[in-house]
Amino acid sequence: MLSQLNGVKGMHLENLSNIQAISGFEDGVVDYVKGVLDSHSYEYKEDFMKNLTVFIPGKNHDFKMGIFAHMDEVGLMVTRVKDDGSVKFTTVGGVDARVLPGKKVKIGNEVEGVIGFKPIHLQKKDEVSTVEELSVFVEDASKVEVGDPIFFATEFESCGNYYVGKAFDDRVGCAIMLNLIEEFEDEKPPFDLYLSFVSQEEVGLRGSAVAAANLDIDAALVIEGTTAGDNPELEEEHWASHVGDGPVLIAVHSGYVVDKNIFESLVKTAQNEKIAYQVKRRTAGGTDAARIARTFSGIPTGVLAVSTRYIHSPVSLISKEDFENTYKLVKAYIESEVLVH
Amino acid sequence: MNLEHLKKLLTTFGPSGREEKIRNTIIELIKDHVDGYKVDKVGNLIAWKEGKGENKKRILLDAHMDQIGFVVTHVDKNGFLRVEPVGGILPQVIYGSRLNFDGITGIVGIEKESRESFEKNLKEMSFDNLYVDVMGQASKVPVGTFGIYDSHPVFENNLVASLALDDRVGCEILVECLISDERPYNDLYTLFAVQEEHSLLGAAVGGFEVDPDLAIAVDVTDSADVPKANKRVSMIIGKGPTIKVKDSMSVSNPKVVDFLKKVAEKHDIEYQLEVLPFGGTDAYSLERVKNGIPTAAISIPTRYIHTPSEVCSLNDVEKAITLVRAVVNEEVVL
Repeated sequence: MLSQLNGVKGMHLENLSNIQAISGFEDGVVDYVKGVLDSHSYEYKEDFMKNLTVFIPGKNHDFKMGIFAHMDEVGLMVTRVKDDGSVKFTTVGGVDARVLPGKKVKIGNEVEGVIGFKPIHLQKKDEVSTVEELSVFVEDASKVEVGDPIFFATEFESCGNYYVGKAFDDRVGCAIMLNLIEEFEDEKPPFDLYLSFVSQEEVGLRGSAVAAANLDIDAALVIEGTTAGDNPELEEEHWASHVGDGPVLIAVHSGYVVDKNIFESLVKTAQNEKIAYQVKRRTAGGTDAARIARTFSGIPTGVLAVSTRYIHSPVSLISKEDFENTYKLVKAYIESEVLVH
Repeated sequence: MNLEHLKKLLTTFGPSGREEKIRNTIIELIKDHVDGYKVDKVGNLIAWKEGKGENKKRILLDAHMDQIGFVVTHVDKNGFLRVEPVGGILPQVIYGSRLNFDGITGIVGIEKESRESFEKNLKEMSFDNLYVDVMGQASKVPVGTFGIYDSHPVFENNLVASLALDDRVGCEILVECLISDERPYNDLYTLFAVQEEHSLLGAAVGGFEVDPDLAIAVDVTDSADVPKANKRVSMIIGKGPTIKVKDSMSVSNPKVVDFLKKVAEKHDIEYQLEVLPFGGTDAYSLERVKNGIPTAAISIPTRYIHTPSEVCSLNDVEKAITLVRAVVNEEVVL
């Protein structure tokens, strides 16, 4: 594995990206976060949805802000083990069958396999595989049970200006929160922060609903990996965001028009800090913001994201600079106290 | 009904998520007539009047103050915009017409690199093959700017054609109910909700905050009195407001439906029963707040919903005002 990462930021992302944790099976990420927390003295709480929220006391306790990133990644789940030893599966979260044929996967903790497909010479030119037609082939199917999670088996790599790996949606958010946890050990944030690592985003924004209901916060910020869609074959106006153009600010997405004050103050913070930013050009797709904003009497929520190419596939790619600058923007946003005023 | 109030409500800018101007317009209209009002964390306006009744209940009247609109998603080198809808808008409705980015005018054009692509784009019209020309003003409408239709109210024969009847007629009905000099029998809470067209967010949050005994969403519904109208729709304009029994997102609480029918009949207010085979209103969000709120909806039959010129009858609006006033003055027995 090629890994030339210096500094703590890349390290967490590398470790988190390699952890296998589809929706409902987030334990690996939870354990990793707890491992980091072991060397700090923060209070944290967990709930029955596997959400984990870290409390970072601020210099002032009059304002409370929640920051959310989801731990789960998209993947597959075993639905049937056939007599010939092949394994049928369903998708967990939004996975298109077209990204699956020929990919290496891991079933549960130990069984390795490959997603097989009809031989190319027997396929018609325009034949498109569906999930029903695909199977995972494993050496020993006796170790596989219905309900086992199936993960993409992609190892993290650092390639020039890019990170390549799986699950950047939303381990980038988790990594940025871990970096904040380490940063604020020495210098307290201006107000109380609740950093919430949440579950089951990819299957319907479920963890965040419970996590937000267990907090009493004045505002929230969701940190995400978001669609790039910046294929060179496509005209620029049809991209969603562009890898390398900086943190992505979202004005409106499925289920929620992002709070105007937070959106505009994020833009202003980026401008003040001279951080290049982009506003997402598509409104489809949603984030935990849609759920958090609806909590009880309402929580104004913003969304900040890292542009992710080939999102929801076994391999995705982000820009190192985008990742760094998204972290910088979140930190600057907290320290500017713009929300409190 | 007050025509000046209605005109003001119809012509104030306020797409989903950008409701501050319409909220201020409503506050100006009601502030001297209510016992209190507040703007909540997501931008809802909640205004109330205490009731005088011995067995009073807490009634929530909801109308959403946002209107359907657009968001700028891209600005190209030459200053042409791309937009996506905020709320349910068909691209066919805006091709060749004007948009209003809160003062900046945009004209909607279509890509046509060749005769064939022009015909294809007309047939498969989408927000991906339309663009918006703002005549050199692109620097004032960066990505993330919101817009609405460029349209205005026209009054003829007791009908009104306008943008945003959905749901500014609902807002007008609530405003007139609030500013009545009469003290209501029940505690009256009005929720001017945000983001109905995009996500029904405001009603979910506002309903939780008010926690009423009974909720009524006031909105528009389809009207079947036009050529080749939907065969399964019975509502028509000019025959009074409707009491909603069902739409595709909610089934009204039958006890509330009976209560509304009883009040309408007692006061001799013409009404229609409504079953809408599609669509939904804030009632969907309201009925599932906390441990459930008995909820129904009152609608104004409207032609051409979600176009720049929706049409409804002022008589229906007038009767709806009479009906909701009667409802807040009636002892609630469910």
